[in-house]
Parts: sequence; structure tokens; C-alpha cells
Amino acid sequence: MDRIECQWCKAQNEASRTSCNTCGAPLDQKNIVSDSGWAEAPRLRDMTEFHFSNSTCQVEGEIVPVAEINLAHGDSVFFEHHVMLWKEPTVPMSALNTGGGMKRTIGGMPHVVSVAHGPGRIAFSRDATGEVVVLPIHPSHEIDVREHAFLAGTHSLNYSFVRIKGLANVLHGGTGMYMDRFVTQNEPGLLLLHGYGNVFQKTLQQNEKILVEPGGFLYKDSSVQMNTVKQSFKTGLMGTHNMFLAEMVGPGRVGIQSMYVHHGSE
Amino acid sequence: MSTPTETATSSYTCPYCRNVSDGGGTSCSRCGAPVDVRLKVTKSGWAKQPPIKDMARIRFNRSTCQISGTQVPVAEMKLDGEDSLYFSHHVLLHADEQVHLETMQMAGGWNRVLAGMPLVMMQAKGPGHIAFSADRPGETLAIPLQQGQAVDVVEHRFLVATTNVNYQWERAGVWFTTQDGDEQEWHYPIGQTMDRFTAHGNHGLLLLHGPGNTFIRDLNSGESILTQPDSLIWKDQTVRMHLHFEYPRGQYWFSSSRWQAKSMWLRLQGPGRIAIQSVFEPPEMVGAVMNSSPSTTHYW
Repeated sequence: MDRIECQWCKAQNEASRTSCNTCGAPLDQKNIVSDSGWAEAPRLRDMTEFHFSNSTCQVEGEIVPVAEINLAHGDSVFFEHHVMLWKEPTVPMSALNTGGGMKRTIGGMPHVVSVAHGPGRIAFSRDATGEVVVLPIHPSHEIDVREHAFLAGTHSLNYSFVRIKGLANVLHGGTGMYMDRFVTQNEPGLLLLHGYGNVFQKTLQQNEKILVEPGGFLYKDSSVQMNTVKQSFKTGLMGTHNMFLAEMVGPGRVGIQSMYVHHGSE
Repeated sequence: MSTPTETATSSYTCPYCRNVSDGGGTSCSRCGAPVDVRLKVTKSGWAKQPPIKDMARIRFNRSTCQISGTQVPVAEMKLDGEDSLYFSHHVLLHADEQVHLETMQMAGGWNRVLAGMPLVMMQAKGPGHIAFSADRPGETLAIPLQQGQAVDVVEHRFLVATTNVNYQWERAGVWFTTQDGDEQEWHYPIGQTMDRFTAHGNHGLLLLHGPGNTFIRDLNSGESILTQPDSLIWKDQTVRMHLHFEYPRGQYWFSSSRWQAKSMWLRLQGPGRIAIQSVFEPPEMVGAVMNSSPSTTHYW
């Protein structure tokens, strides 16, 4: 039987499908890659449906997209409480124990991460122009995500946070003190992110480097190192102007967004 | 509706940037406008500037610019070692390690601070890739400039330009004052200053960001049009502008409409090209106008 490999998540699909069953990426369109190797995150077609565990997710809308999840019995998703757009009244809710309360407060991370349990329907939106990025997570795979960027994660994902090293990054980097880290042990999971504007991904080779505006950083494989690079420029009036960039060092994937909060200039 | 100009020799004049090319490919190599879509002109004469197609390439000097993304587009430059660009530091999205970054010398620093203009302008020198984003939904507008050609751009629309495009700023000369008690308030509907970009030595490339959709129009000599002041993106240097106030008819001579319900317009007078955007902030409606830059007034 013929199979088609999804160019975004590498999942195998039946030849008759027009969108990936695992991440929703169109299968009948070529990957769009810029000259320098940045691939556009696939634009999910309106009403595209894909699956995880026994549940389905449907993404609707193209300017401020909504992810609508039909949760099966036994499945659940976790999310920051303010991204919930609507839910059926019968969908039970609970709170995820995130740990590290004081550190999370200092890092500006959400204290309350809510969990919705199936069966029933629930929908999420980040309330901003952008794209839903679907990242299937496989066992032993670790993804680091900038704070306040994740839309929802499925029950098999382990959610923790990591500190961004470097005082300069803390003060000026724009990604805050902590990043969300998602990992799964046994069962594959699905992570939905909201990227502001358009989202691009590049795979860095071993020791390959790229400088990124910190506000544009969205996610990375945990194998990618993130360092703060300070660049000082002499100016006539003010003496010196300092610019802080995030130096990403491979190997692994880096995701960026084209619309960002530039903490350094506000 | 009309179609782009075509001749028997298959040369193609881009209706958006007015440059001649062979028309090969799917987009203009000078401004990135698609060549395979019909020019859409409203009955009143506004041409819709089509968005640059995803991954379209624009050539300048020995380098290329590729526009990617559709909502908040990114302009990614592949810079040759001989080419360089300048930009306001907050629009930089990513850069190769080998791209040389430095500050650009800017005159009139204190006045720029007072006018709320970018103080630090950066310069990037090739070789390598460097990318820019305006960080707002909208369209990237590419304006190729012939040697000596100049355009006036409303402040905060500028994204990036080649270094052979000279950057100056001038007083916009569009203002009015109102009185609040004993205090006189100054209002600048299009900002205190405008950026003037002039190509020197060679063809230059200027990239702007227009929120919403963009429309262009060529005004004949003496022809004028009233627009929302905040909708203007750029104009040819030859286009003159001044304020126009309109007061709706009130039931009585002392009707509040004479003070509060006025409409304020920017009158643009040809000859020359103008570009406006469909996203704008309406001007603040504040009290009676006490004084203004040269303006016209109409009472209905």
C-alpha cells in the first residue's frame, strides 16, 4: 500500500489523504523553504482535522485560528486557563500541579495550568494574529518553548520548565527567565503552539549557529543551545548602543515567529 | 479593470514600480509584484497593490531579497559582499553570524529624539543572510528607486533600504493647534516629520511596511484628493499636501458641530504618485482649531 510521508512531522499517511493525519499539514503542497533554509510552518487548511490518541483536533480560521478538540473518554489536554475559547458544560476540569511555585511567579509563568478531560469538546485561541503550529512529540523527544506560546498539550506530555542561563538574557533577552519544556516518555504526544505572525523553522547542523532576535524565538529542540550575545555599537550621541541577540547553536530544530514583543525597546 | 502594459517585444512595464523587464517568471524582479494577476483599478482610479507572493525574489545590485510569510511577512536578504543595507534596529529578525553589523552615523540626533524617530539606525554588510520583520500584520512594499528618484515616506513605515539610498528627514509641515484652558495644544496628523529617501549612484531598493491593504494612485498636475491623514504611506516628492477642514451644517449658528463635529482631511495635490493603506487611526477630534499650517476650510 502506497504511503506519503508528511514533510513537516515525518508521519506516514495513506496515499489518498490530502492532509497529515498526525499534524494536519497539507500533503499535496510542497514545503516552502527560503533561500537560507527557513521552512514556513505549514498553513493548516481551514477545518483541517487530525488525530491523537482516540481524540481529534480541528483547526478553524486563518487570521486568529482556533483549535477545537473532540476529547475521547480517557484523553485529556492541558492549557493556560485564559486560552480557552469555549467548552461543552459537561467537560470535567482539573488543575495541573506544575511545581516550583515561587520560581514560576518570578519567571512570570502561569500558576494555574488547567486540564480538560474527555469526553467532550473544547476550543482554544491565543486571541492574536498568527498560526497554530502542531508539533507531534515522540518518546525521548524534548522541546523547549518560549513562555506563553503553548496553546495546549496532550495528556501524555510531561510539562516542566527550564531556566534560561545568563543574566543578560534574563534582563534583556525578551524570552523571560524560563522556558516551557515538553517531553514524553512512552506514548507519543501532541503539542499545539500559537506563533504570532508567520512561523518558520530551520534545522541546524552540529555547531551551526544563527543569531535570532530574542522576541522572535518560538521553540527549539532541547539539543539546541541558546546563548545570549551582546553586541555593542558606538553611537555619536549616546556613546554606546547595546543589542542582545539569541545565538542558537545546533544540532536541532529552531522555530521563530515574525511578530514579537521586543522587550529590549519597550 | 485594465491589464499591465505589454508590447510586441514582450517587454513588460510593471504597473506598480514602473520598471521595464522581460516579464519572465511570476513576479517583477524589481519590486516583487506578481506579473500574472490582473491589475485591479477601482472606478475612481485607485489601483490595488497586490501583496508580494510568498517566497518571491527581488533583485538589487548583486543581492536578492525574498519575501516570506503572508500575515506578518519577513524580508530575507541574501547580501553580496559588496552590498549593504540600513534599518532601524528593532526590525531585525535573524542574521547569519558573518553578517557585519554596525551603527549608521545619523545627523540631528537631538531633534530625532524630540520627534520620536528611531535614534539608532543599524547597517548590515554582506556577505550572508539577514532578515527583517515589521512585527505587525500587513504587507511589505518594495519601492525600487532610479538614480536621483526621491520619495517621501510617513514616519514609522520604513523597514530597510540599500545604503545607496540617502535618508533625510524633514518637517512634515502639517499641523494645527487647539486651546485647552490656558494651554495651547499642538497636533501633527501625519507626524512631525517625514522621511525622504533618494537614490544616489545606482538603483536603490526601499522596503516599507503597510498595515492592511495598499492602494496607489497617480495624480495629474493640479488634481487633488482628500484622504485620512494617517492612511498615507508614501508620496512622490512632487505631490503637495495640506490640511482641509470640513464643518457639517448645524441647526443653529452656535451649533457644537462648528467646533466638535468637524472632519479633518489631508489634501494631496498632484502631479505624482501616492500610496495609502486601508488601516488608519482617525484623527483626534479636539475642540476648535485656533491655528494651523496652510489649510482650506469648508462649511456645509
